[in-house]
Amino acid sequence: MTAWALFVPELSLFGAALLFLALALVRTIRPRVVFLAALAAAALAIVLGLASLSAEGMLFGQSYRIDLFSQVFKVLLTLGLFLVTCICGDVSGVDRRRHAEFYLLLFTCTLAMMLLSSAVHLLSIYVALELSSYSLYVLVSLRRTHELAVAAALKFFIVGIVSSAVMLFGLALLYGGTGAVYLDELARALPPAVDQPLVQVGLLLTLCGFFFKLAVFPFHIWAPDTYQSAAHQVTAYIATASKIGAIAILMRMANVSGGSPYLVQVLVGLAVLSMTVGNLAAIAQKDLKRLFAYSSIAQAGYVLIGILSLTPEGYAASIFYSLALLVMKFLCFLVLVVVAADGADIDVAHLAGLHRRSPLLAMALMMSVFSLAGIPPTIGFTGKFLIFNAAIERGLLPLVLIAMANVVVSLYYYLMVVRAAYLIEPAAELPKLQVSPVMKLLTGALVAVMVLCGIYPTLILDLSSAAAAALVK
Amino acid sequence: MGIPFGYVLALAGIVVVLGMICATTRRNLIMILLGVEVMLNGAAIAFIAAALRWQQLEGQAFVLFIIAIAAAEVSLGLALIVYLYHRTGSLNPEDYQVLK
Repeated sequence: MTAWALFVPELSLFGAALLFLALALVRTIRPRVVFLAALAAAALAIVLGLASLSAEGMLFGQSYRIDLFSQVFKVLLTLGLFLVTCICGDVSGVDRRRHAEFYLLLFTCTLAMMLLSSAVHLLSIYVALELSSYSLYVLVSLRRTHELAVAAALKFFIVGIVSSAVMLFGLALLYGGTGAVYLDELARALPPAVDQPLVQVGLLLTLCGFFFKLAVFPFHIWAPDTYQSAAHQVTAYIATASKIGAIAILMRMANVSGGSPYLVQVLVGLAVLSMTVGNLAAIAQKDLKRLFAYSSIAQAGYVLIGILSLTPEGYAASIFYSLALLVMKFLCFLVLVVVAADGADIDVAHLAGLHRRSPLLAMALMMSVFSLAGIPPTIGFTGKFLIFNAAIERGLLPLVLIAMANVVVSLYYYLMVVRAAYLIEPAAELPKLQVSPVMKLLTGALVAVMVLCGIYPTLILDLSSAAAAALVK
Repeated sequence: MGIPFGYVLALAGIVVVLGMICATTRRNLIMILLGVEVMLNGAAIAFIAAALRWQQLEGQAFVLFIIAIAAAEVSLGLALIVYLYHRTGSLNPEDYQVLK
């Protein structure tokens, strides 16, 4: 009985998913009812996640570890789910009859991500990863208005299954080289075996599956098309919650790798390429969601820097930065969803005159974009500072210099977004945007979180450090 | 066991590489899906070999899961492919490269 109590946050999401499955069979249900049910279920999941924050234990034959690290990520994931559900009040990009299925897949995907953050057996990691990916493939294809949403979903699917097949072969090589299937066995078996080519190749191929989820170069090719073609809310989910799950499992795998210098070199290379490719490609983008896609490829590079430090400080910085990414990316998408209320894609140029149409949204967009670019006093600046600091302590100064050069490059396109919102006047006068009081409250709260955590990060940072300590224990 | 671990692993590697070549060079969605299935089977062979090497059942359990997941993957992939074929009348992925 007590063991099952540890599993309550996951069970609540599973129950909600079953509920939406039942609602999907009832054709007459009103979308508004489904939306409110989803909001309540997501809020309940956050409460349960927070209540079990300090829970510890092992479940399912030692293959599922519940510790502070996994619980912190579960709270972040449910928070992401709740925030994304908040902007689902009018999912105009998805057929009205499909709304219950939409939430079914959204909740299943979050459930899979939560399983992923706790999984410590190679098999449960693989199954959880596949479950989350499959939900996303279908979610992307649900977009009604876009001609090529299915084509983009198929591209996402093919890149996804190829990288997961490569990852599976990597797992087989790891298992063949060490005979270990539990991560703690692997952590003991890897350091002496890490010089074997079999194990080195296995470790690298295994990480491919996680790089795909995080959209790290060279597994990023799905991101721009998928971001552009999916419904705005789905893109918001992929950019926030889905990335957080990938960061969690990548950190767990990096931690068991035994600090092999070879692995660190590969990660350094990928981090540099991700940042550079993402930032340079983002400059040329006109579509706002494509711009965010390339921006999140670059952000994945920054997160990798924290992870490849392989120190508790680096992990803590990456956990902190996950929260930062969640808040600032979500805020960008919140603005996008309100501005493009009809569910159509918008270009950066369509933001023109936003400061007059809705001063609050323009300010929120500016703050979140500044945060993504790393301008103080925002959470994005503090997060980047912590990550770079951890990397310098590890002796990776050249890497940090490259990252800083990248930050400067990224300023260009982030400032273009702000310029469009504030300085460019629209050709024709546009009506004021209708923002509901609840949305205003949410926007204000998130901006406040971004600034407060930027100036006073101690509370979150202490929690991140404790989570990182639980990970390396 | 008569066959050394290295030989079986080499076979598995060859199967995975063949699947990879099929998945990346063919211009037909069905063949791409087939190539990925071949890759999964290559990984399954490697797991069987590893299970024999360490005399454990975990590797074989992995293979059962791989078979189930491969089935789910094919059904999802074929559903997407059929839907796309209805809309565009083509199975060639190059025909869809119009996203800017």
